[in-house]
Amino acid sequence: MAAKGEKHSPLEQFEIIPFTRTEIGGYDISFTNSSLSMIITVAVITLFLTLTVNARSLVPTRMQLISELMYNFVAQLLTDTVGDNGKKYFPFVFSLFMFVLIGNMVGMVPYQFTFTSHIIVTFALASVVFIGVTILGFVNHGIKFFTFFYIPGVPFYMHPLLIPIEIISYLSRPISLSVRLFANMLAGHTLLKVFAGFVVAMPFFTGALPLVFIVALTGLEILIAFLQAYVFAILTCLYINDAYHLH
Amino acid sequence: MVDEEKLQELKKRIQAAKVTNTPQQKTKKESGAGFGFKISTEIIAALVIGVGIGLIVDKYLGTKPFGLIIFFIFGALAGFLNVYRVMRRIEKQ
Repeated sequence: MAAKGEKHSPLEQFEIIPFTRTEIGGYDISFTNSSLSMIITVAVITLFLTLTVNARSLVPTRMQLISELMYNFVAQLLTDTVGDNGKKYFPFVFSLFMFVLIGNMVGMVPYQFTFTSHIIVTFALASVVFIGVTILGFVNHGIKFFTFFYIPGVPFYMHPLLIPIEIISYLSRPISLSVRLFANMLAGHTLLKVFAGFVVAMPFFTGALPLVFIVALTGLEILIAFLQAYVFAILTCLYINDAYHLH
Repeated sequence: MVDEEKLQELKKRIQAAKVTNTPQQKTKKESGAGFGFKISTEIIAALVIGVGIGLIVDKYLGTKPFGLIIFFIFGALAGFLNVYRVMRRIEKQ
């Protein structure tokens, strides 16, 4: 098989395949399988949300109920963490949550590319959150936002030590936010492929064993896909909260 | 007055419903691996930033290697601070 030039690396699935080759101003903006996956995600979200709530029935159908559950879930998350101020940020957090969630779920479909398994995608999402929240902090508090790095009630000689630590801790937010999502998706999908390789490689019918394992693992992956979207959303809420309430 | 009472009762019922409904979400126990993952990303992220700042400082101020050493330590401490905050948040729940 290898002689035919077929690859069997478990990492093969993360390869970016450009469908077109476009370059504008030295930047490669080719339409890739990653872009396609994102477009599918956005299309699925838009179609699902519009079609299911289209009827606007007072007694919701099952599908409408799912949409409403998602809406409530994020709305509840915002009111729990940010309070009344959070209502304004619902569209943002909801879009983010749905994009990550459905992106992960679309990635669970066999042969479908998982764009959240690329750090640049998650890092871009996290950067939007980080930059947005920082601007929000300055808009709300002006220059006083810098007191965010100042911890009250600490002996004065500790501040030269604590302020750099606080600043580094603050700057590390987008990295931990993006790495968590990316690494979870990368590890999960690689693991699935590795076990899938065992199914083929093991002799006789012993291959059924890893196959059973894959089925269980797929369930776990779906749980992780949801959990990571949830974590992404809740951390965004917490950061928005920090921009309102310093300490 | 009657409306007030009704409202109070409704409030109580909403509170009760909230109490019975929220634990469902929050008792969602994380796996040990997931927990370890969370902690390690916090430390790594802070270290990456610390080392990055250290390297930049060294490059532009020519203080090689002290910027890296100092900011590496700051990064490590920031990592511990992050972990501490994560733990506190988990305990709150």
